[in-house]
Amino acid sequence: MAALQEKKSCSQRMEEFRHYCWNPDTGQMLGRTLSRWVWISLYYVAFYVVMTGLFALCIYVLMCTIDPYTPDYQDQLKSPGVTLRPDVYGDKGLDISYNISNNRTWTELTLTLHNFLAGYSPASQEDNINCTSHKYFFQESFRAPNHTKFSCKFTADMLQNCSGLVDPSFGFAEGKPCFIIKMNRIVRFLPSNSTAPRVDCAFLDQPHGDGRPLQVEYYPPNGTFSLHYFPYYGKKAQPHYSNPLVAAKFLNVPRNMQVVIVCKILADHVTFDNPHDPYEGKVEFKLKIQK
Amino acid sequence: MEFGKTRGRVTPQELNPSSGPKPKRVPKMVGRRKKEKVKRKKNKANIEELKKEVVMDDHKLTLEELSRRYSVDLTKGLRPEKAQEILDRDGPNTLTPPPTTPEWVKFCKQLFGGFSILLWTGAILCFVAYGIQTYFNEEPTKDNLYLGIVLAVVVFITGCFSYYQEAKSSKIMESFKSMVPQVDNSSLTGESEPQSRFPHFTHENLLETRNICFFSTNCVEGTARGIVIATGDSTVMGRIASLTSGLAVGQTPIATEIKHFIHIITMVAVFLGVSFFGLSLMLGYSWLKAVIFLIGIIVANVPEGLLVTVTVCLTLTAKRMAKKNCLVKNLEAVETLGSTSIICSDKTGTLTQNRMTVAHLWFDKTTYEADTSEEQTVNTFAKDSDTWFILARIAGLCNRADFKPDQETLPIAKRATTGDASESALLKFIEQSYSSVKEMREKSPKVAEIPFNSTNKYQISIHLREDSSQTHVLLMKGAPERILAFCSSYLLNGQEYSMDEEMKEAFQNAYLELGGLGERVLGFCFLNLPNTFSKGFKFNTDEVNFPMENFCFVGLISMIDPPRPAVPEAVCKCRSAGIKVIMVTGDHPITAKAIAKGVGIISEGTETAEDTTAQLKVHVRQIDSRDVKAIVVHGSDLKDMSSAQLDEILRNYTEIVFARTSPQQKLIIVEGCQRQGNVVAATGDGVNDSPALKKADIGIAMGITGSDVSKQAADMILLDDNFASIVTGVEEGRLIFDNLKKSIAYTLTSNIPEITPFLLFIILGIPLPLGTITILCIDLGTDMVPAISLAYESAESDIMKRAPRDPKNDKLVNYRLIGMAYGQIGMIQALAGFFTYFVILAENGFKPADLLGIRHDWENSYVNDLEDSYGQQWTFEQRKILEFTCQTGFFVSIVIVQWADLIICKTRRNSVFQQGMKNKILIFGILEETFLAAFLCYTPGMDMALRMYPLKIFWWLCAIPYSILIFIYDEVRKFAIRNHPGGWLERETYY
Repeated sequence: MAALQEKKSCSQRMEEFRHYCWNPDTGQMLGRTLSRWVWISLYYVAFYVVMTGLFALCIYVLMCTIDPYTPDYQDQLKSPGVTLRPDVYGDKGLDISYNISNNRTWTELTLTLHNFLAGYSPASQEDNINCTSHKYFFQESFRAPNHTKFSCKFTADMLQNCSGLVDPSFGFAEGKPCFIIKMNRIVRFLPSNSTAPRVDCAFLDQPHGDGRPLQVEYYPPNGTFSLHYFPYYGKKAQPHYSNPLVAAKFLNVPRNMQVVIVCKILADHVTFDNPHDPYEGKVEFKLKIQK
Repeated sequence: MEFGKTRGRVTPQELNPSSGPKPKRVPKMVGRRKKEKVKRKKNKANIEELKKEVVMDDHKLTLEELSRRYSVDLTKGLRPEKAQEILDRDGPNTLTPPPTTPEWVKFCKQLFGGFSILLWTGAILCFVAYGIQTYFNEEPTKDNLYLGIVLAVVVFITGCFSYYQEAKSSKIMESFKSMVPQVDNSSLTGESEPQSRFPHFTHENLLETRNICFFSTNCVEGTARGIVIATGDSTVMGRIASLTSGLAVGQTPIATEIKHFIHIITMVAVFLGVSFFGLSLMLGYSWLKAVIFLIGIIVANVPEGLLVTVTVCLTLTAKRMAKKNCLVKNLEAVETLGSTSIICSDKTGTLTQNRMTVAHLWFDKTTYEADTSEEQTVNTFAKDSDTWFILARIAGLCNRADFKPDQETLPIAKRATTGDASESALLKFIEQSYSSVKEMREKSPKVAEIPFNSTNKYQISIHLREDSSQTHVLLMKGAPERILAFCSSYLLNGQEYSMDEEMKEAFQNAYLELGGLGERVLGFCFLNLPNTFSKGFKFNTDEVNFPMENFCFVGLISMIDPPRPAVPEAVCKCRSAGIKVIMVTGDHPITAKAIAKGVGIISEGTETAEDTTAQLKVHVRQIDSRDVKAIVVHGSDLKDMSSAQLDEILRNYTEIVFARTSPQQKLIIVEGCQRQGNVVAATGDGVNDSPALKKADIGIAMGITGSDVSKQAADMILLDDNFASIVTGVEEGRLIFDNLKKSIAYTLTSNIPEITPFLLFIILGIPLPLGTITILCIDLGTDMVPAISLAYESAESDIMKRAPRDPKNDKLVNYRLIGMAYGQIGMIQALAGFFTYFVILAENGFKPADLLGIRHDWENSYVNDLEDSYGQQWTFEQRKILEFTCQTGFFVSIVIVQWADLIICKTRRNSVFQQGMKNKILIFGILEETFLAAFLCYTPGMDMALRMYPLKIFWWLCAIPYSILIFIYDEVRKFAIRNHPGGWLERETYY
């Protein structure tokens, strides 16, 4: 072992390394001759080509076995998530604050709403049909054009005062802001047995300030998502489907203080008590209106 | 210097450095001491200087010159004040204890040595990355912090474990020591014979001259007065002790291998890290992110579990070796024995039984062989000759040795005796093969005796005759030539004939023959005293008043310290395993050669130059040294050799015996072997061997007869002192090297499916397929038992039939192993994992094509309506659960492909169908990893604890085709290797 344990100087090491990189005696580069490098590279290329091929085949088989309309498993989506517009996030979740007198603080918020509602203009809802039944709109067959299913129309004007058509400031200017609540889509999800799911907003920790409960005006009336928007049959079956929306206009938000508001979806099959997921079945947000 | 007159058996005292001054120190006359310091350079003593023979001319001086030199009165000694002065100057007559390593230093060595460095580096990098992340408030995930902590904890625990293991084996050592009484054994020069001492200068060599006594030897017989010429560290023993503690010890082969492995891993890690650093910058990630990625990739390359695996594998082997009587003090030494290419073995006690035994008898002009095996249970020698009866009676009666009491239950060969080695040998032999010596002595009581001394070289005892209680018989034994001189007649088949030339020649031939076998020969004769010496006659042994001539010669008995029975086979095994066995002994060349031939170190049919010259009657110089494969080198020749000459001998001869060597020379021989690039094992028991034990790559001390100092210097201890145990040790060492290779190949393979997810996460922007926690679950959880189980794998071929590993080219981890593990099997495993990952995502709504580039939104906790391929919308938490389910799936897939990997790693060349599945631990390992994976996956609460989620049964199956693919691919590869030995595939993929 003595021979292996000699202390080598730096220059010796460099020399050894150079010799390793290019050994003029044997014509070896990095320990192999050129032809051996070519062979080993070819071997690895071939190996990887074959393996990639096999993997591609596996993925192809996988794609063949997958139902194009409905996911195989939905157990991670037992209850839909709920989102809020406008969505401004602070350090911990949604955090919306603005100053009534300074309209620069809220134009951004209304702009978000306008952009969001652009998808609900009559033009973009053109391909959808009008529904009135307030019952689940089951469609087992593909009767819509291009082998699809029908989707029900939801236009911004259904939100009335919060549609941005009547009041482009969505009530922000007067300190009674509108917030739009959207329930996430889940394929073939039926939110409740008979009654339509309803949005219910309230202060998180009552009593608050003067102790009065939060006064809310819901659009559409009662804050319900009509049942005819359910079930959702997936992107391929319903390419033009738009989520139904509920707008909530808060009438008595105290000024100059931060309040926490929670909007829950009340329906038989929607849960809002998952401690790990703050956006399942409900949405919480902080709101601070300054004057 | 001592001017004694009688025999003084010189036995090494225990040289326990901690035990302080020994009561018996040579010479005994403490009052008249004179100390002389040869040269005292404290601990900084020049090692090269120490390696040389002691140069001293005191033994050449006459007593007068000596008394003048040391200004000491020969009768009164030193004046008290002068003695005090010298004592103050030189200190007490004790050896400076070697510096012992403090326990905390040992612990730190375990904690920061070898492999641990890699993990510490990984841990520090993790903390750095976490520091950067928190400082710049980048994605405040604590993964890096946790990973760093886990790495540190793993190194710490493993360090504690191996420290505990080594502490335990040293404890075994200590307990063993307390069990075994110290046995008198060979002296400084390696001779087990008592030696006489007198004031005359007899030999140039300090160690051979008869007028010097040495530190740590005992005077066993007689009295003497001497002059102290050296004390403490300047004595010969002191020089050896300081030589031992001053020697620099090299790295163990396995440490070198691990260093090499760390180089490779570091290169791979840095290469991957830097290239992906560049790539991520090109992909538009920020500098900060790229640095985090860089660190992440480097850390991901650290095989967290390997340190534990290697430590446990070595520990298991160490335990297995301990069962086979090889106690390993240092875990790394476990493998060293496997790489050993030269064993420098002691003779006495290691190759031989360390007890004199009757080997041959010569009477009636015939040589008879006696049984010298270790287990002499049967009556080994039963000749129906009257001469034999007489010979036996002489040997039994003219014998001062006796059995110690209360040993009737023991076999005769095992009983302890009083008296010197030769007489004990005779006693046991007669007791065994003739009749009870005790009865014999009772029937013929001894009336007078002249004990053996080195001037007379004979021993006489006079007994009453058994048959007629009136007359006496005079029995005599001694050096054969002296005995013959007394004889005028001889016995042949019980008949007395007068001595003739023919008989004398026969005697000479027999004497030469037995002497040539390296045996100690004694002659036996007797004389029936005439009736004038009737009962009650007062024999006077000082003024001999009885006849001392015309004896009747009976025969010769020769004795030897016979080789241990298992040794020849073991030496033969060593030879077929390509290990050169060199005998290094202090004994005479003839004895050494005889034993060497007996055990096969000099194989049958091989002759030394001297043998050849004797046959051909030519001069040694005229023989072509290339034809001669065996050589016996005398210590005095070795002294005059340059290292180049020694190298030449070591290179050119395959069978080498060094006789009459000094301790320093043993060291020189070991160094010479190491210069040739050999891994050297050295055995030894005495203090004198400790420098060689320390210098050798693996020093092997004797558990029973070994001195404490030698045990301290050694890396391994043979609990049964048997050379054959070394061979089993070699076997285990080689096996563990092979199995470590397999174990590392197995462990490294899963590194690729662990790294690639992170790489694709960066490049393709897909959700992270495998997280830090799951990686740790693999490395420190499921992979652990299977990797360790490979240590139990049996050898693929006869590992004792191949040459020792070439430490320069045959590396533990080479590029071929990395290529196989990383480049091929690991890649298939990664594909298996990704397949499962894509299956789970696709079946939950995210088709592969939609995943590309989804990372930005996926990782954004503010996006709570992320759309999948079906138009469903996912909150952050929902998709994270899906992601963790995928990671669990990826984890389970790795476990499943590791089944196949484990089975293919069982063998490197053979098919698994040839090897079989006999390794039960391995099967247990497969079951264990599967159950552990299922446990982690399905136990309630794991979702919160480790973020692992239950899987559908179908997702377990996704990886199975890949498992089969791995198995088939590797079987085909091995088939090609077996069928094209030396072919391209073997050169490029056989690790």
